[in-house]
Amino acid sequence: MKILTTAKKVVDVELTIHVENGAIVEDGLQYVINAWDENAVEAAVQLKENNGAETTLVSIGGSDNTDMIRKCYAMGIENGIHIDDPALDKADSFVFANVLQKVYEKGEYDLVITGKQAQDTDSGQTGIILAEGLGIPCVSNVIDIEVVDDQHVKVSRLGDAGTEIVEVELPAVVTVSDSINEPRLPAMRGIMMAKKKKIEVMDLAALGTSLDEVGGAALKSEVAEFMASESRQAGQKFEGDAAEITARVVDLLANEAKVL
Amino acid sequence: MNPLFMSLLLIVGLAIFGRTMVQKIQLLMALEPTDRVNHIMDRIKNVVIIALAQKRLVGRKKEWAAGIMHAFIFWGFCILLIRSLNLYGEGFVKGFQLPLFGDGSILGYLYIALKDVMEGIVLLMAVYAIFRRAVLKPTRLHNTWEAYFVLGMIGVLMISDLLLDGARYNLIMLHNNPDHLHFFNNPQYGSEFLWTPVSVGAASLISGFSADANRLILTTMFWLHIITQLTFLNFLPLGKHFHVITALPNVFLKNLGYPHEKTKLLDLEDESVWEDESLGINHIHQLNWKQGLDLYTCTECGRCKEVCPTYTTDKPLNLHDFNDTLKAELFDNADNLIKRAKLAATIKEDGDPEQNEEIKAQMAELNSKKPLIGDVISEDTLWACTTCRACEQVCPVTIEHVPRIMAMRQGQSLMAGVYPQELNVALKGLERNGNPWGIGYDKRAEWADGLDVKTMADDADVDYLLWVGCAGSFDDRSKKVSKSLVKILQKANISFAILGKEEKCTGDFARRVGNEMMYQMMAQENIETLNNYKVKKIIAACPHCLNALKHEYPQMGGNYEVIHHTDFIDQLIKSGKITLTKSLEGALTYHDPCYLGRYNSIYDQPRSILEAISKDGLKELDRHGQESFCCGAGGGRMWMEETIGKRINVERSEEIAGQEVATVAVACPFCLTMIEDGMKELDKDEDIKTQDIAELVANNMA
Repeated sequence: MKILTTAKKVVDVELTIHVENGAIVEDGLQYVINAWDENAVEAAVQLKENNGAETTLVSIGGSDNTDMIRKCYAMGIENGIHIDDPALDKADSFVFANVLQKVYEKGEYDLVITGKQAQDTDSGQTGIILAEGLGIPCVSNVIDIEVVDDQHVKVSRLGDAGTEIVEVELPAVVTVSDSINEPRLPAMRGIMMAKKKKIEVMDLAALGTSLDEVGGAALKSEVAEFMASESRQAGQKFEGDAAEITARVVDLLANEAKVL
Repeated sequence: MNPLFMSLLLIVGLAIFGRTMVQKIQLLMALEPTDRVNHIMDRIKNVVIIALAQKRLVGRKKEWAAGIMHAFIFWGFCILLIRSLNLYGEGFVKGFQLPLFGDGSILGYLYIALKDVMEGIVLLMAVYAIFRRAVLKPTRLHNTWEAYFVLGMIGVLMISDLLLDGARYNLIMLHNNPDHLHFFNNPQYGSEFLWTPVSVGAASLISGFSADANRLILTTMFWLHIITQLTFLNFLPLGKHFHVITALPNVFLKNLGYPHEKTKLLDLEDESVWEDESLGINHIHQLNWKQGLDLYTCTECGRCKEVCPTYTTDKPLNLHDFNDTLKAELFDNADNLIKRAKLAATIKEDGDPEQNEEIKAQMAELNSKKPLIGDVISEDTLWACTTCRACEQVCPVTIEHVPRIMAMRQGQSLMAGVYPQELNVALKGLERNGNPWGIGYDKRAEWADGLDVKTMADDADVDYLLWVGCAGSFDDRSKKVSKSLVKILQKANISFAILGKEEKCTGDFARRVGNEMMYQMMAQENIETLNNYKVKKIIAACPHCLNALKHEYPQMGGNYEVIHHTDFIDQLIKSGKITLTKSLEGALTYHDPCYLGRYNSIYDQPRSILEAISKDGLKELDRHGQESFCCGAGGGRMWMEETIGKRINVERSEEIAGQEVATVAVACPFCLTMIEDGMKELDKDEDIKTQDIAELVANNMA
């Protein structure tokens, strides 16, 4: 079984994001692998270890993605493809999905595993659009993958009412939830040994496509402006006589919060 | 007596002994190198204090009786060495006396008196030791046949020598010395009998026997003594009594300047170490020779496990068995290790690479077959250690347990990639945001908002850098300690600044769990920042940070004068820069943090501060000072689950609660968390407040 998995480099959401003039202040930010993609990589590596699958990772982004790909190598991924094309700087989920489709078509994979969404945009679309483009099944928000045979996997999907267990014919796309696994920290020996491993770096032309073809020339969506979310105000604490407090709270709810 | 028989015994006895010793030394030489022969005078001092004066045995109040017993047996043996030489001489020459020890000088007389009394004492001590093992049965001791056998031999050695003299005295005094036996009889100092009461006592026991019987006793006792002694000598290297031979060298070779051998700064950039999997300890041949000597020297006394916070709370780490198992593994692989070392010596740096690879492959064949962790030592055993050093502090022969455990963790973490997975969250937090909580690094100085605290970036022209640490920056409870510390420093008009978001975890916990790569990453970034600001003096608010900054950063080019906040506050009080009100109500006790006490010998300063605050004075815990009991969070345990046995912090909290105090003072953020949690668990947190010394000082300043 050949598995394609994806990794997006996103801003570290542990940090406070500052916005100035509708744009994110880049100074002081740092970038990490999207947490859900880390789960996807872990899921792929587990399938390699338990079912003898062959794993390939694809990542779209600038040259600073190299470190992240090497860490995925250290986690156990065997092959790495890095799509590095400055033309993709402003790409949205639709364009990413089209690029991934080109990668998929070059490699004949049985299973694509992606994170269910990315921490930066939280769109949750790329994997689904990819499946649509390829005309293959897609199961989202997956918390377990079990290989049935060469042609089938049984996946558990966390739905609103409970867990759905779905048997899917391959090839297919699954997008994983963070509760599918606890990603391993890359083994240090792996990191050091991964330094020597080759990463296949391609721009769109090398991939056999163009910005036009993947829809990057006429974007379907564009970020108009960033706004910082308002931080929560501190609450009020009342102490003393119960009757007095009740009266005061009712007064505040009615006249200040205007909810009564 | 009989030169031929004596020669035969000596040749056989010494030849077998010599062969055993050569094998043991060869095995040590096959292990990894370490440098232990500098500062000879300091080493001699250690031998005098720890080995000859038996400091850790007689100096330990909790077990003074056993300490004195051992010390007298040891001193007795030292004294009897001269007597033994005399006896061997007598085997060849009748009436042989060592020069200077004959009856011509007072020295000879003093010696026979001392020897006589000592033999009596050693005999009594051996009887007490047998009684202690058989009847009192201290829990830390393993009751083995070996122990009784050796005690029996000691008894035989003493009795045979006393009876030998006793029979001689009887022949001389009661039977007119028919064989012209030699005895001391100097007109100035009198006859030998006046100086040797114990032997005279022995003589009276057998005085009723005939001359022939006494003659038989003399001969029998002489040869019994010699044969027992040679048997004893050959028996020593085979078991735990090897310490009789190795303890003095082991103490002489103990690490100097830091309580145990510092973790080696590994060269992680060297590709070959990753290919050869040669980092840390995953195979027995990776021990260094001193660690091998430690194993030879372990007396299996069990003091280490008795004070161990993990063993006493039912974790599987039993240092007594740990050493014993490693020793067995070392001996099982002895031949292969010696062959392996010989092969290693044939690898030449500039040699044919292919040939070198071939040699390396042959060497790998000779590695111990069992994985050291998993088969020989269990994972739970390895990861239980809190690195508190209680075991090392109490070890009478200065065995360094902790560095060995840390190197094994390195082997697991760096090479095998096997370690408790719950560490991942903390390690990832360290990698991304420089703190084990994983909170955004940009929020590191938020605790200081509104306190008018400068950062080095604002103004680096200050006297001190206040190193806050991750807990003091991110943990809500410890932030209060940081604020208190700022209040004290501001009150005393100290010129200081913090690094703010430029500070990162020192990497202490990463190093303790074997993740040398993460440690070096943290240390390197911090040292760059510190050196960039030309920092010279650091006040550290955490003993773990203190230890890393002070003792470990110099390995990587970070040299600073580092002082713990309790030490600094003590100086502020003594120099009158702050004045305390001595207004703390209720009984107070102090929990010594391991990395402040046992690692950095800071015991007095916290106590002197507390004495100055408390109205009612300081009440010491049963386990305090050098034998303080760990809170359970050191050695990276803060970030691991504690699922086996009783929780260490609860054990300690119970001890504190038993003292009926109103306040327990601590001086470490991990101890603060652990003890406070323990008190909550016991439902005592309302009655007993856990407070850092900085908080107590800040609340009691005039």
